[in-house]
Amino acid sequence: MLIKLALNGIKSRWKDYLVLFSGLVIASAIFYMFEALATNQNFIKQNTTISAAVIIFQLGSILLAIITLVYILYANSFLMTMRQRTYATYMMLGAKSGKIGQLIFMETLIIGVVATLIGIVVGTGLAYGVGTLLMQRMGGAIHSFQPLYPLAVFITLAFFMVLFLIAAIINRRQLLKQPILKLLHSSNTPTAIKHRPVVWLIEAIVGVLLLATGYWAMVHLGVLGLVLALVTIVLGSYFVFNALAIWVLSLLRNAKLASKGLNKFTIAQLTFRIHDYTRLLSMVSILFALALGAITVGMGYYNQIPLMADNAPDAYDAVVYNPTQAELRTINDLHVKSRSQYTFKTTSGAVYWNRSEFDKDPLLMVDPERSGLGDVTYVKADVAKMANPDTNEYLRLRDILLPDMRQRDSKVVTAAEFNRVGGPSYQVTALKVQNFRNDLPTIKALFNSQAKRFPQIKQDDGSYKYAFYTQLNGLFSGLEFMGFFLGIAFLAMLASCLMFKILSGAANDVQRYRMLRKVGARQKLLHQAIRREVGVLFLLPGILGVIHVLFGLRMFQAIMVQPYYKIWIPFSIFLVLYALYYLITTYLYRNIVLRK
Amino acid sequence: MNNIVTVNQVTKTYGGQNEKTYQALKGISFDVQKGEFVGIMGASGSGKTTLLNILSTLDTASSGQVTIDNQEITQLKGNELADFRAKEIGFIFQDFNLLENLTARENIALPLSLQNVPASKINPAVAKIAQRLAITEILDNYPTQISGGQKQRVAAARALVSEPAILFGDEPTGALDSKSARDLLETMDDLNKNDQVSILLVTHDPFSASYCQRILFIKDGVISTQLQRGNQDRPTFYQEILTTLGTFEQ
Repeated sequence: MLIKLALNGIKSRWKDYLVLFSGLVIASAIFYMFEALATNQNFIKQNTTISAAVIIFQLGSILLAIITLVYILYANSFLMTMRQRTYATYMMLGAKSGKIGQLIFMETLIIGVVATLIGIVVGTGLAYGVGTLLMQRMGGAIHSFQPLYPLAVFITLAFFMVLFLIAAIINRRQLLKQPILKLLHSSNTPTAIKHRPVVWLIEAIVGVLLLATGYWAMVHLGVLGLVLALVTIVLGSYFVFNALAIWVLSLLRNAKLASKGLNKFTIAQLTFRIHDYTRLLSMVSILFALALGAITVGMGYYNQIPLMADNAPDAYDAVVYNPTQAELRTINDLHVKSRSQYTFKTTSGAVYWNRSEFDKDPLLMVDPERSGLGDVTYVKADVAKMANPDTNEYLRLRDILLPDMRQRDSKVVTAAEFNRVGGPSYQVTALKVQNFRNDLPTIKALFNSQAKRFPQIKQDDGSYKYAFYTQLNGLFSGLEFMGFFLGIAFLAMLASCLMFKILSGAANDVQRYRMLRKVGARQKLLHQAIRREVGVLFLLPGILGVIHVLFGLRMFQAIMVQPYYKIWIPFSIFLVLYALYYLITTYLYRNIVLRK
Repeated sequence: MNNIVTVNQVTKTYGGQNEKTYQALKGISFDVQKGEFVGIMGASGSGKTTLLNILSTLDTASSGQVTIDNQEITQLKGNELADFRAKEIGFIFQDFNLLENLTARENIALPLSLQNVPASKINPAVAKIAQRLAITEILDNYPTQISGGQKQRVAAARALVSEPAILFGDEPTGALDSKSARDLLETMDDLNKNDQVSILLVTHDPFSASYCQRILFIKDGVISTQLQRGNQDRPTFYQEILTTLGTFEQ
């Protein structure tokens, strides 16, 4: 009987549960994906380049876990508000509070188990897709990857079960604490907001000051600043919504434009809602910032891989030994910026270079003193120093040798001496291209062709820019993917929190919209009013969230080259997804309040 | 004849083709003249509410014609319907139906805002009707801050601010105490006599009905009896209504 009631409860509130449900499915799917990528033993062993990404995915799942806990508690409290009337009716009919407690417990758990199971299925698909993408980017082998990994399934299930148990216990306690009468007649009438311009002004100033403090602390105080910022930004957002937004609305309410159409009604609705939603809106703005920040930073790291690769000691984008005709053709496909050609001869103990070639076209090297991330200065190597093993010049010259020859003594000799040296002769073509990433496929082809002809290249491939790039790529692709998926998970949760709050109030709005229809509001006007009302509720935390991110990104200036580089890409992706949630919410809300 | 409302052979059937159908109105006909105060009485389930919903364009008739202020409303669609509601009819309900997040003033101004009347004209119109209904003092209060009787006056002001052709009342005294109910009915009577507001009042309360000049009794979807007040005083008419109801219920 209890199970039947619980299932019935879920069925009757299906639409509301669906919102919670979708948020949970996305959270558990992404959690599972992170775990599946991080725990696949064979996969990790066979792809050493991915091991850095593994740590990142573990980190990601911990972050996700924390936010999911907050989300579940929050979302559940909304559900409880919607369900409390039903529970109170059961109690009035004589159901014991223990039974109601079990009922709540059961409902929470059923939703939790089903959502987690679906999440794991979706997550398996996601893990497969993301694993394939990661491998494509890193040139690794995907076949060792098992998307459905028992350990990951177990961790996900266990983790979410614990979360839901906690939520169920809290739900039960909260509901049973309240007297039945209060549950039955939870007041629907909005509290009239007192007009207190002076208080608002003070609150608004305090809010803005708190935000400014937080932004400043993030940039200037390091880890301590981050903690301080978290507190002040949360408080600041709260005050800004509580005072600034309401103050602006009260100004608008008296503006001339307000008396047009349903504007006044919309403003009144918003004033009430923002007052009521202050806490939620502040939380949403923070989550929004976290989500957008995760996506932006993830993508930002990916964008800076070439910049970091530029910072490798070796100045050249590609080094080719004794190019074949085919390789020469490949080189012609590159967008070459500079092309130098040197010759060396090898004997059993030494390598000889032709000095006249360096006089004509000096070897380029990165000046370690004057180079930083994204700002690399090249200098021409001093030929005189190139033979001295204690110099940087000597090391860089050695770098363009084949790895198995690097232990030999390098000698730079005159053309006449060079001609007298016997032994095999090699030609090195050292290339710089205009844009490394654009020419990557060609460089890769060149590298592979060379590696086939000179297998020793594989011995120390870190000294070749292509190989160095590939290693960085492994690490930062992991970061990018994590950032992106964490962002999506956060977004799903924040949007469903907002959706929840709006939809849980919709029942009270039915009467208002019905009345507006009776008074003669056109259908189009009603739709417009709904779009605006929901739109502002989405827009406000969005704007504040964007501001948080723009300031927060400065924090990454220490570890990122250009945190604002190509920032429009992650922002647009994120805003499109956010807009999608807005449209869904508007649609659901409209269906509730304008139901005939 | 100067009819403000003409109802001709209106029927309303609920239920679709494959469902059990129920006929709430079975060809009802009557009219209301300009400046008249007409009551419609009947037991619950008699079709009162259906009739009022059709008259106020919230529902459509299955057949027949309804004309309000020379406009055939059964032919109206979409925006025309909304505009018609905003301009031509005023509505007061049992549960007031005020928007509790707007002040009394904003509630009253709403129908004018919906018609995009400029703000400069809205304020005087609201002030005028508020004064007429003696609610000037409470204009800046929210509905939760005023009494039931005041709420219904605000609702009446909102219904009348756009100077509609007719005022519909759906049990407007239903949620009021007897003093407030009497006040409201007297105000309606006054508006009818002195401002020539045409009123159609749906009620099952004989006391409210006794303020009308004419009463139509609906039973099983048709008009079964009609009472004219004529020159009788109100208490006498009230007794007559009670007697009629007594025989009517048999």
